Amino acid sequence: MISGSEAEVVNSVARFKSATKDQISKELGFSSGYVGFLCKYLVRKGYLAYANRHYSLTSVAIKTLLKEGTPKIDRKLLEEIAGEVGRKIGGEIKKAVKLIKIPTAAAETKKETEQRINIKTDFSFPVDDESASLESNVEKIGAKLEKQRFDIDKSVELFKKLQKRGKG
Amino acid sequence: MKKKKTDSTSARGKSASTGKDESQNGKGVDIGTMFVKCANKEKEQIAFRSQRNAFFGVEHTDFTKNILNNSRVKYIIKENELYVVGDEALEFANMFNKETRRPLSMGVISPTEKEALPMVELLIKSVIGKPSYTGEIAYYSVPGEPLDAGFNILYHEKMLDGFLKTLGYTPKPINEGHAVILSELAQEDFTGIGLSFGGGMVNVCLSFMSVPIFKFSVAKAGDWIDQQVSMAVNETASRVSAIKETSLDLSKEKDLSKIESALSIYYNHLIEYVIESIKEEFAKAKKLPRIAKPISIILSGGTSLPKGFSHRFKQILDHLKLPVPVGAVRMASQPLRSVAKGALVAASVDEGKK
Repeated sequence: MISGSEAEVVNSVARFKSATKDQISKELGFSSGYVGFLCKYLVRKGYLAYANRHYSLTSVAIKTLLKEGTPKIDRKLLEEIAGEVGRKIGGEIKKAVKLIKIPTAAAETKKETEQRINIKTDFSFPVDDESASLESNVEKIGAKLEKQRFDIDKSVELFKKLQKRGKG
Repeated sequence: MKKKKTDSTSARGKSASTGKDESQNGKGVDIGTMFVKCANKEKEQIAFRSQRNAFFGVEHTDFTKNILNNSRVKYIIKENELYVVGDEALEFANMFNKETRRPLSMGVISPTEKEALPMVELLIKSVIGKPSYTGEIAYYSVPGEPLDAGFNILYHEKMLDGFLKTLGYTPKPINEGHAVILSELAQEDFTGIGLSFGGGMVNVCLSFMSVPIFKFSVAKAGDWIDQQVSMAVNETASRVSAIKETSLDLSKEKDLSKIESALSIYYNHLIEYVIESIKEEFAKAKKLPRIAKPISIILSGGTSLPKGFSHRFKQILDHLKLPVPVGAVRMASQPLRSVAKGALVAASVDEGKK
């Protein structure tokens, strides 16, 4: 998933269809250096394509961003662009655009199912100490030890009290 | 239950004058991507034992082994391979301009590292030692379910649980963010948001009167910053990490080196990402308690250590805003120890009930 600033860059590129770093910088009010940095990152991640000093959205970006339900992303705009691209290059892309909505619904259903089914059994087992057979000086040297004066008794008492109150 | 005493080990606290075991029952263990840490109470103090969760393969000869022994550098030998373990692994990696290997990745036992399990076991054993009696309670930290990664934490949790049982403890998991709250927010009745910016994950917990309302993790954290910066400036992630841990100042605005600029940019990105994720969780939460006072936010974990981190966090939070009023935003009193300390609070409560 991408961050808010990256989403704003994606939205800006989507609005321009094809935009230079300066156009994005002017529109968003971010410094040119920061926009350049975000764009490079988005190109590396496959969200943007760069040619002739212009950034444009990749079809992978449209598909992924719609599928992820990324916050701050202008879904309407992206769906419009996806539609345009689809019309331009024909049936194959149209199919892909239609497919976009399926994973979101599927993910939601999966989450709902996970929340509905409460796992009551527990598989608990002892785990062998695989480190016992290793030759090592770690235990001999020991861990780094630091001591500090901390009064945790008040925290312990308060936590106990709150737990009791919760049960009561 | 009858408490059967076991032998004390180097990981138990003994008085220098009397040689008596001064530690009290109950332990808190923070099993993080960067460090494994154990806290236990010894009279008025808390003893923290820690090991860095990293290793690095070196040539296995008797000569190397002797040098490591003489210099008190920790190592293990597995299937004729010699691995330097702990802080020194990072130093070796930097010396050879290579990366360290890590038994934990993104907060859980690494699925791609074949030496992960014995390595984690050894490090846990060396910080926690033997229980003072069979069945002593040990709370160990677990991450929240990651929002942005396709794995869940069940396998990790069960393996740690099983291992601590094998050592003779009664293990109990505690969410990392919740542990931060138990450690730092007693004065606010354990109400607020605890954030642990670790190596592999950022853990978040909103708690009301000590009860977690929501808890989650994101799989972008300190390691992610190191990797992104290393790609941006063509340095090894280990070297970036060393700079980040020793000299990064996020309040510096002028004369930044290339690495500092990149670190600063990615810190911004991470903080924004975490705050946006918290906002999303607030939006998703169906039943939020009515919290009368502005809530406090506690920042902890190794990735929060650079100077200026809390100021940067506040700046971004002011800009993005949470849907609840926020009071103090402050660093934990000991950012590297708050998870272990919070786990110890929980363990002490349970031990007190026995």
